[in-house]
Amino acid sequence: MSKKECIAMLLAGGQGSRLGALTSNVAKPAVSFGGKFRIIDFALSNCANSGITTVGVLTQYRPYLLHSYIGTGEAWNLDERGGGVSILPPYATQTGGAWYEGTADAVTQNLGYIETNDPDYVLILSGDQLYRMDYDDMLETHKKNNADLTIAVMPVPWEEASRFGILTADEDGRISKFTEKPKKPDSNLASMGIYIFTADLLVETLKEDANDQNSSHDFGGDIIPKLLEAGKRLYTYKFEGFWRDVGTISSYHETSMDLLGPNPAFDIFSNEFPIMSNSSTRPPALVGKDATIDDCLVSNGCQVYGTAKHSILSTDAYVGERATVIDSVLLPGARVKDGAHVVRAILGENSVVEENVSVGSVDQTKDTAVIGNDVVVGKGEN
Amino acid sequence: MEKVIGLITCNYSAKESTALTESRPVASLPYFGRYRLVDFALSNMVNCGIRTVGMVMPYNYRSIIDHVGSGKDWDLDRKNGGLFILPGSAFGTSRTGARFLLRDLVHNKAYFTRSTSDAVFFSTANFVFNADLNKVYDAHKESGADVTVIVKTASEKDADVTAFDVEDGRVCGVHHGANFGETMFLDCFVINRQLLLDMFDWYGPTDYLDLFEAMSGDFGRVNVRTYEYDGYVAPIFNKRSYFRANMDLLDPRITAELFPDERTVKTKTHDTPPAKFEVGSHVLNSAVSSGDRIYGSVSDTILGRNVIIEAGATVRNSIVMQGCVVKSGARVENAIVDRANVVPAGTELRGTPEDVLIKEKSRD
Repeated sequence: MSKKECIAMLLAGGQGSRLGALTSNVAKPAVSFGGKFRIIDFALSNCANSGITTVGVLTQYRPYLLHSYIGTGEAWNLDERGGGVSILPPYATQTGGAWYEGTADAVTQNLGYIETNDPDYVLILSGDQLYRMDYDDMLETHKKNNADLTIAVMPVPWEEASRFGILTADEDGRISKFTEKPKKPDSNLASMGIYIFTADLLVETLKEDANDQNSSHDFGGDIIPKLLEAGKRLYTYKFEGFWRDVGTISSYHETSMDLLGPNPAFDIFSNEFPIMSNSSTRPPALVGKDATIDDCLVSNGCQVYGTAKHSILSTDAYVGERATVIDSVLLPGARVKDGAHVVRAILGENSVVEENVSVGSVDQTKDTAVIGNDVVVGKGEN
Repeated sequence: MEKVIGLITCNYSAKESTALTESRPVASLPYFGRYRLVDFALSNMVNCGIRTVGMVMPYNYRSIIDHVGSGKDWDLDRKNGGLFILPGSAFGTSRTGARFLLRDLVHNKAYFTRSTSDAVFFSTANFVFNADLNKVYDAHKESGADVTVIVKTASEKDADVTAFDVEDGRVCGVHHGANFGETMFLDCFVINRQLLLDMFDWYGPTDYLDLFEAMSGDFGRVNVRTYEYDGYVAPIFNKRSYFRANMDLLDPRITAELFPDERTVKTKTHDTPPAKFEVGSHVLNSAVSSGDRIYGSVSDTILGRNVIIEAGATVRNSIVMQGCVVKSGARVENAIVDRANVVPAGTELRGTPEDVLIKEKSRD
């Protein structure tokens, strides 16, 4: 294989357990988002748009749908000879096999993939974040700083800082302190979990960490503190723009709603940095004679005969006559039958709300209602 | 269907020339928002397992090649077989009756001789229907016919379609133009490959004829049988039938019939986001494609991809193709607005329901 300047390792093995019913049968990166996309589209499109054409995707939890969705990588122009997308699940060797334990361990187990490609730099990504970023610009920063590790960072609200890895950096961006999920944060500069390592250092560090009995083999928890301690050159790459880690049902719902309104926080229509997806070929959306649609994203294959307001209707979603859908997300193939009411809810793929049944509540103090994939909600069940 | 190959003649256009077909062959005419007419012929073939399809090209083939590319969206990017782009014989697009001009076939004889298939499915791109060609082929084998043509009883007079005289399921005559109740040819048939090669020898001297015209004196020898298709069919040969075939799809029953889950219609895929119905938009009885942004009012209309309907604009009973912008306060009614047009603010494009107005494709 030819020499690559920079390859990406995309961590896509997480279960996303806090997404509950949405990830009961698919991995989090394969969860549908924004009508026609799946969450992993954003990271893969960023790679393609940044000119990174060798991407290892590390998978583990319920991988079938994710694997079939990624396919050859063609949908993201990543079906290249001598590169492209490689799916890297846990595997067995002559001495046995092991599941991926922690983010760093997953990469450690695939050092062979990195060594085969022999890159100068390795970009570590999560497959479950929504943002547009030019990784090439981040790489330029890394090279300019002659850094060993560059971490993409953005300021977060102080009250949320304790959910993130928090950094302190000097004026030049050199990192002096890193604390994973601090109880009392002294900075609001958060790591986005996007790293560029100089490849040799990464390989060396991971090999060492693998032998450390006390390590949990996590980039944030173990690798970054160790490199800081060793006096390595760690720098920040400041990102400004829309970035979300849709880790929970409420953040998934909130982030979905961010796509709506007159000036959405995240503009999926922007022609620069297009978000590519492996979409199915479905006919245009049909809007019925008595339909009302207001402030909605409506995907191909949808049929709307009732009312949809401030909602996202994914591919092949269906809203029957006299049905109402408000402040909700219908995942692909979800059906709201005649006379049913859906408010502040997420309906899983191919789920069904039967006729005249109500799901969800306008009461903001209550949790967003979630119906799992393939679940049928009949009368008296909700 | 491993032992069957396909051939689509894309070099037949519409007899009645309109601004829509001045700039492109009928095969690449946009249809129902995101499709092109040739998608139906291609998908019918691919959906029954055919993985080798030749397309006979007209001289203005740019838009067809742009659409089909390597054939990957129809699974026709094969190591063996796949998509074959074949030259048409004449410089120009035939606007007379011929759909399967012998000369076009004979000139591409190698496509047929190099194949080891038993049979060849032929189709034009002028008919919209979604048929299970496996059933047609089964009937073809069972009856022992030399040629099996797909037909439907004409529900109205159509001067542009071909009609057959049929006795006990066997074709005994062919003529151009179908009257109500006659047996209308859907321009799709299957023929045994060896027989086709024989016909090149038999009919070679009259290669200026359509294959069926050449066969017309020969129906005693060549056993041509009909296969009745009972689903939705739209022949598209003029502006009126084109407009109606689009509007038909606003009926969900017809859409369900034309786009069944078991035989999806394949087309070129694009990375366009879902359509956005903005605050204050008003859309009724319409088909809306991905990438559309609607702020204004739309009714009884088919919108292509990436169309913008600004606030205060009104679109009624129309087809608005890909990339058009209808500016604030503009009115579009009973019209076909071809690609990439900007309808300026406050202006009108208006035809009548009987005679829709065509706004030709923007030259930009």
